[in-house]
Amino acid sequence: MNTPRLPRVAGLLGLLLVAGALPFVLSNFRLFQFSQVYIYAIAILGLNMLTGYNGQFSLGHGAFYAIGAYVSAIMMDRWNIAYGWTLPVAGVLCLIVGFLFGLPALRLEGLYLALATFSLALAVPQILKYFEHWTGGSQGIVLSKPNAPFGLKLNPDQWLYFVTLGVLVLLFWLGANLLKGRIGRAIVAIRDNHIAAEAMGINTALYKSLVFGVSAAYTGVAGALSASVIAYVAPDSFNVFLSVTLLIGSVIGGLASISGAVFGALFIQFVPNWAQDISKAAPWAIFGVFLIGFMYLMPFGIAGGIRLLWTRATRSRVEPEGRSAVPTQAHTTT
Amino acid sequence: MNALLDVQALEAFYGRTQALHGVSFSMAKGGITTILGANGAGKTTTLRAISRMVRTTGTIRFEGESLERKATEQVVQLGIAHAPEGRGTFVHLTVEENLRLGAWGRRERGGLKDDFDRVFGYFPVLRERRRQAAGTLSGGEQQMLAVARALMLRPRLLLLDEPSLGLAPLVVREIFRILRTINQTGVSILLVEQNAALALDLADHVFLLETGRVVMEGPSDVLRKDDTIRRAYLGY
Amino acid sequence: MDIFIQQVVSGLATGGIYASLALALVMIYQATDVVNFAQGEMAMFATYICWSLINAGLPYWLAFLSTLAIAFVGGVVIERVVIRPVENAPILSIVMVTLGLLVICNSVAGWIWTYVQKPFPSPFPENPFKFGNIVFGAHDLGEIQVTLLVLLCIYLFFRFTPLGLAMRAAAHNPVSSRLVGIRVGWMLALGWGLAAVFGAVAGMMVAPVLTLEPNLMGGVQIYAFAAATLGGFTSPGGAVLGGFIVGVVENLVGTYVSFIGTELKFTVALAMIIVVLLVKPTGLFGTTVVKRV
Repeated sequence: MNTPRLPRVAGLLGLLLVAGALPFVLSNFRLFQFSQVYIYAIAILGLNMLTGYNGQFSLGHGAFYAIGAYVSAIMMDRWNIAYGWTLPVAGVLCLIVGFLFGLPALRLEGLYLALATFSLALAVPQILKYFEHWTGGSQGIVLSKPNAPFGLKLNPDQWLYFVTLGVLVLLFWLGANLLKGRIGRAIVAIRDNHIAAEAMGINTALYKSLVFGVSAAYTGVAGALSASVIAYVAPDSFNVFLSVTLLIGSVIGGLASISGAVFGALFIQFVPNWAQDISKAAPWAIFGVFLIGFMYLMPFGIAGGIRLLWTRATRSRVEPEGRSAVPTQAHTTT
Repeated sequence: MNALLDVQALEAFYGRTQALHGVSFSMAKGGITTILGANGAGKTTTLRAISRMVRTTGTIRFEGESLERKATEQVVQLGIAHAPEGRGTFVHLTVEENLRLGAWGRRERGGLKDDFDRVFGYFPVLRERRRQAAGTLSGGEQQMLAVARALMLRPRLLLLDEPSLGLAPLVVREIFRILRTINQTGVSILLVEQNAALALDLADHVFLLETGRVVMEGPSDVLRKDDTIRRAYLGY
Repeated sequence: MDIFIQQVVSGLATGGIYASLALALVMIYQATDVVNFAQGEMAMFATYICWSLINAGLPYWLAFLSTLAIAFVGGVVIERVVIRPVENAPILSIVMVTLGLLVICNSVAGWIWTYVQKPFPSPFPENPFKFGNIVFGAHDLGEIQVTLLVLLCIYLFFRFTPLGLAMRAAAHNPVSSRLVGIRVGWMLALGWGLAAVFGAVAGMMVAPVLTLEPNLMGGVQIYAFAAATLGGFTSPGGAVLGGFIVGVVENLVGTYVSFIGTELKFTVALAMIIVVLLVKPTGLFGTTVVKRV
């Protein structure tokens, strides 16, 4: 968005201040929910990079989330490593796994990549249960929430809230720099016309695999955070439904957008709860109605909708950036 | 207004880009009109505007009836057949199925066999290939199929977009000869062509488009002798 | 050898169900590039409607045919009312709408008919058929016949009727279809209607075996994905053949490979998908679209 720089930075700082103040006004449960929102936002940003900016459909990001969560859990439970160190380890491990996965994925487009990732997502719980010795099988691994360091007067939920917020800010700042610069443009170019991108000298194979890796790393770090926040990992929490939920969050928030990740995370965290408040008997039906309704009103996601309102309000002739895959009928003018 | 087709102040848009800037012309019944111009002048866009495939402002009237609010399918049902740029063949379907589909929009049901006979009469090679997948036909044959499919509609107006494109001269001449015959049966033709010599030969009326505007217009035998046209479009 | 033949026939029976649902998925995908994730749930919903009709006293085949008609209308209405508003939106947004439909169908079915498992009748006789030493379940044989009959009718429809031709044209080339006067939007709606009919057939044939409950079609839909992947998402005939192959392979692997019990049979379907995608993503009969720049 072509908003002027100073108000924008001021706005973000303001939001940060509000976010920072929340632990002193909200209950532990609410803080837990918001921590979960930040975690989802990081995971969804990872997915946005891959699917929104780079056009590679992933219906299996829950797998990376699971890897991050279990890596963190095993490190904490078995080797007594502090949760802080598990984050970069989970990130690097998922970066490698994601990159390796990105290589065969180069041959698959659109629907076929979606099918491949979907199948892997389906297999995750079974694979986790199979390697019982490491993962604790169906029982999972029970963990304990870390205490605040340096004797700070914060309870674990408050401390974890600040940790997730801090990681969110850091990763979003890094992500924004990555996506708004040359690399980001190359990534989007590959999405929009990979043949032309290749012809312009962009090494599409390398970039696509790298994006897969980075995307997986983000989601893996999110998973690692969740291990501490929830203090429990079990195979059935990482079924295909998680992958679908992340994708829903991504599309609702706005596929090719950074702020969209936060909107999407808010949606997937809170709307199911609201749905349950509205109807005890068929809560998911209400969720489905919300989902469909959002797509009618904002087919480009919440971030896309905001962009549209902004350009209408300021009547600036700005083209929407990073629109997601649209099937267009080819037309030429004569 | 007893013109067959009357277009006034037509503007056409692809998204935010404007391709036509106030084009006006009319066609008499039974005539052949050709639109000439360089690449990007707006010739194909004009045909698409009539077929309602592109967003427009201005008026388009066919036999007195206004087309602006109609969908493509409805325009077809009024008797306007459009053989588009690139021919628009249903490549996975057989020649016969392509032709059968051409008659879909027609108001009068039945008489299909007569139409097939007539069309095979114009293009005997299509009868030989009737059960072949249309995608396996040569370029010239596909162009014949495109014209034949349009004729199955029993149209009163035939819109043809660059029928000569990519075809050998002999084939093109044959197609143009048949177009003249078709016109003599009462089908009016609006022809977009880059091959100015052929088009000027066939048509009785011409207009020249440049960057979305009509810059010259008149009977073809007059314009054929015009110096500007001669130098720019006929190459001598 | 006898067991082998029995398992093949049994596999063909389940394969027929996968083939029906796969055909539904492929029909819609071919015309719109969208995978309708709600196809299985719509089929489950139709099956419940049949159950209600039977419970209200209708004889089986009358209920069956009525359900097919209701499913057809339902499919048409869903396309015109729910999908049409987003038909020009990005593909993932349309997929989201089908996901929304999925949860709505599942949730509403659970609300109306509860999550208690219900037995669903089979129209075929109880007693198995014997050919020498080989025993075939009557339901299996009947299922194969019903599936083949439905597939035959559909093939004849698409091949020999004008409407079938128009629908094929609209799926392959909507722009040219409009230029011959076909109302492409309505062809899409009819496609959704037919897809719903295939789904309903699959649901009603599988319900006697799995017992009727809102999650009836979840597993079946995964197998249908495997079938469509194997046969080719761009080939209806391929998807049908893929369905039969998946059914037979699933049964044979379950019977002859010792460590694959009933839970891991599922993994077989996933493995098939991955293998096909690694070797030839477009499936046995699918075609790659050549992109011109």
